Amino acid sequence: MAQALVELLQKAHPAAVLGTHSHRGDEVVVVRRESVQDLCRFLKEGEARMQLLRDIVCVDLLTYDTEMTGGGALASNEVPAYDLARKGPREPRFYLAYNLYSVVRKQSLRLRVDLRSDDVKVPTVSDVWRTADWWERYLFDMFGIEFIGHPNLTRLLMYPEFQGHPLRKDYPTRKRQPLVDELDFPDLVRGPGPGPGGAGVPMSQTHVGRKNVDPTTYD
Amino acid sequence: MVVGGTELADDRLPILRPEGNVPESARLQTTLGDDAGAVPVLLTRRDEAIGWFEEKISGALGWARANSLFQYPFVTACCGMEYMSVMCGRYDLARFGAEFPRFTPRQADLLMIVGTINVKQSPVLRRVYEQMCEPKWVMAFGVCASSGGFYDNYATVQGADRIIPVDVYVPGCPPRPEQVLDGLKILQEKIQTQRHVLHSVEQSPRVRDDKKRSFLGKLLAK
Repeated sequence: MAQALVELLQKAHPAAVLGTHSHRGDEVVVVRRESVQDLCRFLKEGEARMQLLRDIVCVDLLTYDTEMTGGGALASNEVPAYDLARKGPREPRFYLAYNLYSVVRKQSLRLRVDLRSDDVKVPTVSDVWRTADWWERYLFDMFGIEFIGHPNLTRLLMYPEFQGHPLRKDYPTRKRQPLVDELDFPDLVRGPGPGPGGAGVPMSQTHVGRKNVDPTTYD
Repeated sequence: MVVGGTELADDRLPILRPEGNVPESARLQTTLGDDAGAVPVLLTRRDEAIGWFEEKISGALGWARANSLFQYPFVTACCGMEYMSVMCGRYDLARFGAEFPRFTPRQADLLMIVGTINVKQSPVLRRVYEQMCEPKWVMAFGVCASSGGFYDNYATVQGADRIIPVDVYVPGCPPRPEQVLDGLKILQEKIQTQRHVLHSVEQSPRVRDDKKRSFLGKLLAK
């Protein structure tokens, strides 16, 4: 149904479209990174009438098609290990997808931008759709993708002290970055706690943050 | 009888009693003195009587405090629905004396942590706890507050007891209101058996000076 939209896009910007396919009934257009802004403005303001940006999502394909070989277990604080040496990390590593919808035409379209891991930069579309402002901040927070030209590219959900990007596949699964001193005692189900002491700390040495809590208030 | 060069009346004679009705002043002496951990076995009959009264007062205060818990609901997540159910007519936490939710921590006795605690919220939760007046108790309502629940991820505190001390844990996702009532009864029993003092002996300089002048104070302070 949205095939007409794809053809419209191909006709107007033939150099910007790298490929098209249909994924489970959704039309996907893989586009060149440099022309994202032009395409979005064309789709919104042209006859496609894509006024609604449903969301911008990101996929980290670092471990796609690979097998887990160790680490990342429940009681582990390590970076999960995959057999990347055998298959090699996948490039481009990130898929960035803009899910668009036209309320007038009742059609949806997905723009996809592929990003290599050494250059995770993409032009902002926050001046096309206002809602892209927070979506791009969210993606910067979770995946560390830089949106060039964004007016306020700061973390949306995590606190400013947070280091790293938690939804990347190489973020340690049980790594914690507490804001206050936390008690770190062994978790009876999942092993030693993931607090400042980290996993594998002997039980006698797990009370890391106790200095800020009055011990007389404990029973 | 002569002790330390001074004559003592019969009713001030020291008695040997390592446990039992040890008054508050004698208990404090063991912890504040130089030889911390020493058990005072020398008590006068007057001190024993004071200890007996203090036990009775502690029981009465515990009864009063256990049955008039003012709560501060720190509601962050879906357990709040069950909290509303607990507070409303069918289950009615007010039947057990926990009548009033106070929406300021300074007037509350019981901090109910209802829901998931994020790392981002943890400084707020600790400040709320510190703002509550003594005596204070904490209930972790649901598995998220108790242990982080299934949110074993980068954003969630793995149990509120990593930040503040928790008295009673109510499991469940979310817990049934009956479980919350059960937890409240357990907490009331705990409060009843805790030691309550009418006024803080430790904080009052007048009482502290009196204690120094007393026979026991002289004896223990040499």
